Amino acid sequence: MVTTVAKPPPQPTAAAGTPPIILKLSPLIEMDDNQFAEFCSLNPNLRIERTKNGELEIMAPVFSETGGKEGEIFGQLWNWSKRDGSGRAFGPSAGFTLPNSAIREPDASWISFSRLQALTPEQRSGFYKICPEFVIELRSDSDRLSVLQAKMEEYIANGARLGWLIDPQTTRVYTYRPDAEVQILQDPDSISADPFLPGFTLDLTEIWNPWHNLQPPAEN
Amino acid sequence: MTDTTPYPALEVPPIQLRLDPVIKLTEEEFAAFCTMNKEARIERRVDGTLEILGPTYGYIGSKNATISARLYEWAKRDGSGVAFGSLMGYTLPNGAMRSPDSSWVPKSRLRELAPEDEERFIPVCPDFVLELRSHSDNLKLLHAKMEEFMDNGSRLGWLLDIKNKRAYEYRPGEDMKIIENPDNLSGEPVLPGFTLELRKIWDNQF
Repeated sequence: MVTTVAKPPPQPTAAAGTPPIILKLSPLIEMDDNQFAEFCSLNPNLRIERTKNGELEIMAPVFSETGGKEGEIFGQLWNWSKRDGSGRAFGPSAGFTLPNSAIREPDASWISFSRLQALTPEQRSGFYKICPEFVIELRSDSDRLSVLQAKMEEYIANGARLGWLIDPQTTRVYTYRPDAEVQILQDPDSISADPFLPGFTLDLTEIWNPWHNLQPPAEN
Repeated sequence: MTDTTPYPALEVPPIQLRLDPVIKLTEEEFAAFCTMNKEARIERRVDGTLEILGPTYGYIGSKNATISARLYEWAKRDGSGVAFGSLMGYTLPNGAMRSPDSSWVPKSRLRELAPEDEERFIPVCPDFVLELRSHSDNLKLLHAKMEEFMDNGSRLGWLLDIKNKRAYEYRPGEDMKIIENPDNLSGEPVLPGFTLELRKIWDNQF
């Protein structure tokens, strides 16, 4: 008998999600940007961000499936950006110091060459002191939606011109733009970044169903 | 047996965070840091790496309170020592800082502490320690923690795996004992007269 995988296998339903662990440091511990960068490299297995109030937000490594989806998203953005030639795509481990002093690591991001060239050598050291113009966050099984929504709003308030929050649990994409309401797309097959990133369309097939083209193990 | 837990059975290891050499804390500063971050359950391994767990979820939190309350009631009647709940941290002789879910220390050992120990995690390994395994706790790490307590001077340790209704009993110099679905556990001779009633603890409800 031949069976095909029509639907993804059931995912662990961490309905409420696990919030990141938040550590307050100030006034006991003060780290400048260089020390923070050094601290992050001491802990390469963790995703460490810093809020605008200086608290650390620490997240455990993502599960394999989320990592694969992050790779898929970055791969598509990188391919487009190479063809387009007007800017650079960054992967999930790139951290940026936002104007409000938070340090964030979007799952994928893009910055135009004109903005990168304008960075001073000081702004280019460590975590670039810039908010990416385009950011993507992917919700993992353990991410709380409200935490990611707040993060998207923070990107836009700090200068991002387009942001996508992709939620595989509900197959929704939330689009953020400055001075515009959040737009929600339900079950889109793909999403276009026109006109801001001309010609960039993210195919979501692999994100919604990473098992769609994988054969089940042979029965014996 | 069906597991009726509404939570995923994913084991989430504690986050391991290195501070040294970027951040160096004295014992007093470390205690202040943990107090500032009470909701993150922080411990310190013997090599100085911090192990951080988020807050407990589900019915485990209430089991924890029930057990600590029973130990507290017994300790009050007994009078020879003090019972502690899950917010108590100890600096073990090997330098690790551990925070068991429940513990008990004889008053004679607490009286030996210096006044400055008030400002840090007291340099004591509790005579009795109890750990509850929550859904997300990795059993191997909990066994290692119990062995660390025994190596550092604890005289009795119970690890309760509520999901599987199993108790693990540790005593120094003896093999660890696995007890399936016990109705109760006796703390003799370390906790004279203390019997922990477990039937209500095993029932997977609040």
